[in-house]
Amino acid sequence: MRWISLPGWEALLFGVIIAVVGGLLLGGIFVLSGVYNVGATVRHFDATNALIRLTLRRSVETHSFGVGEPPDLSEEALARLGGRHFALGCAPCHASPAATQNPVAAEMYPAPPPLSRAVEHWETKELFWIVDNGLKFTGMPAWPGRERVEEVWALVAFLERLPEMDAETYAEMTGLDTQEIAGATRLEFGQDLETADVTAMCDTCHGAPGAAPVHPLAAPLSGQKPDYMERALVEYSQNRRQSGIMETVASELGEGQMEALARRYAERESEPILSPGALDPEAVRRGQTIALRGAPEGNVPACLSCHSTATSGQFPRLDGLPAEYIATQLSLFSSGVRSGTVYADIMAPVADRLSQQQIEDVAAYFASLGTSGGAAETSAREAAR
Amino acid sequence: MRRAARLLLRIMIHAPVAATAGCAGVQSVLSPSGVEALQIDPLLWTATWVGVVVTFIVLALVAIALYGPARWRSRLASDWVVIGGGIVFPVTVLTGLFVYGLVVMQAGMVRSQAADADMVTIVGKRWWWEVTYATADGEEVVSANELRLPVGRPVRLQLESDNVIHSFWAPKLAGKLDMIPGRTNELVVEASEPGVSRAQCAEYCGGAHALMALYVVAMPEDEYDAWLTQEAEPAREPQTEQQERGRTLFLENGCGACHRVRGVGARGEIGPDLTHVGGRLSLAAAVLPNDREAFARWIADNQQIKPDNLMPPFEQFSQEELSALAAYLESLE
Repeated sequence: MRWISLPGWEALLFGVIIAVVGGLLLGGIFVLSGVYNVGATVRHFDATNALIRLTLRRSVETHSFGVGEPPDLSEEALARLGGRHFALGCAPCHASPAATQNPVAAEMYPAPPPLSRAVEHWETKELFWIVDNGLKFTGMPAWPGRERVEEVWALVAFLERLPEMDAETYAEMTGLDTQEIAGATRLEFGQDLETADVTAMCDTCHGAPGAAPVHPLAAPLSGQKPDYMERALVEYSQNRRQSGIMETVASELGEGQMEALARRYAERESEPILSPGALDPEAVRRGQTIALRGAPEGNVPACLSCHSTATSGQFPRLDGLPAEYIATQLSLFSSGVRSGTVYADIMAPVADRLSQQQIEDVAAYFASLGTSGGAAETSAREAAR
Repeated sequence: MRRAARLLLRIMIHAPVAATAGCAGVQSVLSPSGVEALQIDPLLWTATWVGVVVTFIVLALVAIALYGPARWRSRLASDWVVIGGGIVFPVTVLTGLFVYGLVVMQAGMVRSQAADADMVTIVGKRWWWEVTYATADGEEVVSANELRLPVGRPVRLQLESDNVIHSFWAPKLAGKLDMIPGRTNELVVEASEPGVSRAQCAEYCGGAHALMALYVVAMPEDEYDAWLTQEAEPAREPQTEQQERGRTLFLENGCGACHRVRGVGARGEIGPDLTHVGGRLSLAAAVLPNDREAFARWIADNQQIKPDNLMPPFEQFSQEELSALAAYLESLE
């Protein structure tokens, strides 16, 4: 140990201690004195800015590595569904082809970038990750519907089309060209609105009478049981049922509005709106067996023993719902995303007993019934006999 | 020294009595009330007492070998003691016990040939028992979580399972027999006196294994036949407004998806048949008493009472609705 010069080593240690203690002291004075200006008016130094941007870009690139494969984003309907949410949830801060940026949002620091330009800087999966997770310190929130990936993809599908979009296409993609709400630059729900006006906005996704919903993930509501619909709105508004799209809408509605909306949709004449031709008849037949008799060997009860018009108003009708909607909801039940409420806890264990094949079969069966409901009830009665 | 010896002797005499005094319950091997159990009973006691006697002989010989007079010890060391006590004696005693055991245990097998015996199929579920009686005219009466037997008439139990291995053990009636998926095991039982005893699943079958039991009710023959006739009937109509409301709630809330109540359109095959649930001694496979409060608790809290059982919790009901449901179910005698 002779070759280490002890006095020099001790001096070094002393220097380090002085530096650390001094640094902590200065840092403490800096923080506690309040001289640092946190105001949005005082911009970062260029160097700080560059460092923040680098950190952000690298973080997004690295974390988006774990994002799963996207669905078919070229699907026009998916982009339209995303567009509806964009007009409601994103346009207020990020501007849109129909409106310049809100002056309040423009004074945020960092200001939310106009997305028609910003999206070009990111890969598809990176966009997904940002929309899903939000960005710390920027005011960009995470997706309100936890684990609703298919909704996030819908928005990404829309964002990818945004750069080339003119105001007219934008209005068409977001549903703002609907006659009843024409002239609006973004969707805005509110407690003071008449039921008719709210219905017109709901219809932009869920379909006007006789029209199909904008995308199969948005359920057609005509003829649905009002108790169930009202409960769904309440659960969305209280963050007890997950959907970034519906939570945003439902939180803007008052209790009276929810009830009125539920009644209005329940009273609507339901007409068959799907062409069952696209469904595999074999799957429909297998699904019918499960719907009418269940799959007792797998402890699966018959769907229609709860989901018929004869049962509690809290059990939704399923006849005529799109296959994709039913399959998605069943997967949400079995994966535990849709859980924690009284009724979800009844459905979740049953959904968990269904195989992927069975999920697709029952979804095909109920989709094949159109929205008339007559077929389901008739076959239920036949089975009862 | 002599006092200590007397104390030891007293403990040896009284200990088995004290230890078994607590066992004379509804689920005790020590108080048989079925022909099969009565046949096995002497086997238990014979084997036990032979074991006790042999143990004392060995202890005595050890004592002699250690402390005995020299003459005794040298005799003990002779060849004939080793050959006789070490080979001939155990071979004779163990062979005798073995043959005796075979003869006794064979009894059930031989009796199962009796074709005129009543037949009951018991299927092990997660975690309850489906009990199906075959009546004389070939009809099947489905019930659950309780086994009724006519006193003095042998009954063939067909033991099955549709999931994992369970084991049917009604200690007061007979030995245990496994319920194995994909095969039918047969056990003949005959109650020798009327009364209630308890059976328990005796093969670990999952989390709620310990909560899988059932009551066995032995009844005089004529009472049994009357009971079975009544059990085959459809469910009783509601007698009060509250029961009527309970039935409406039962049907509206989809209970019939899993439970059968004959005569009201509830056709489920997944859970226990509830047509005459109010007439049983217990709920949830001998876990809860059969009263209104237990019905109400089970409907809303069953996952707390029997974790991971296949029934979802139904927590949507108000107190008033739960009472109506419970009143209806209790009325299904």
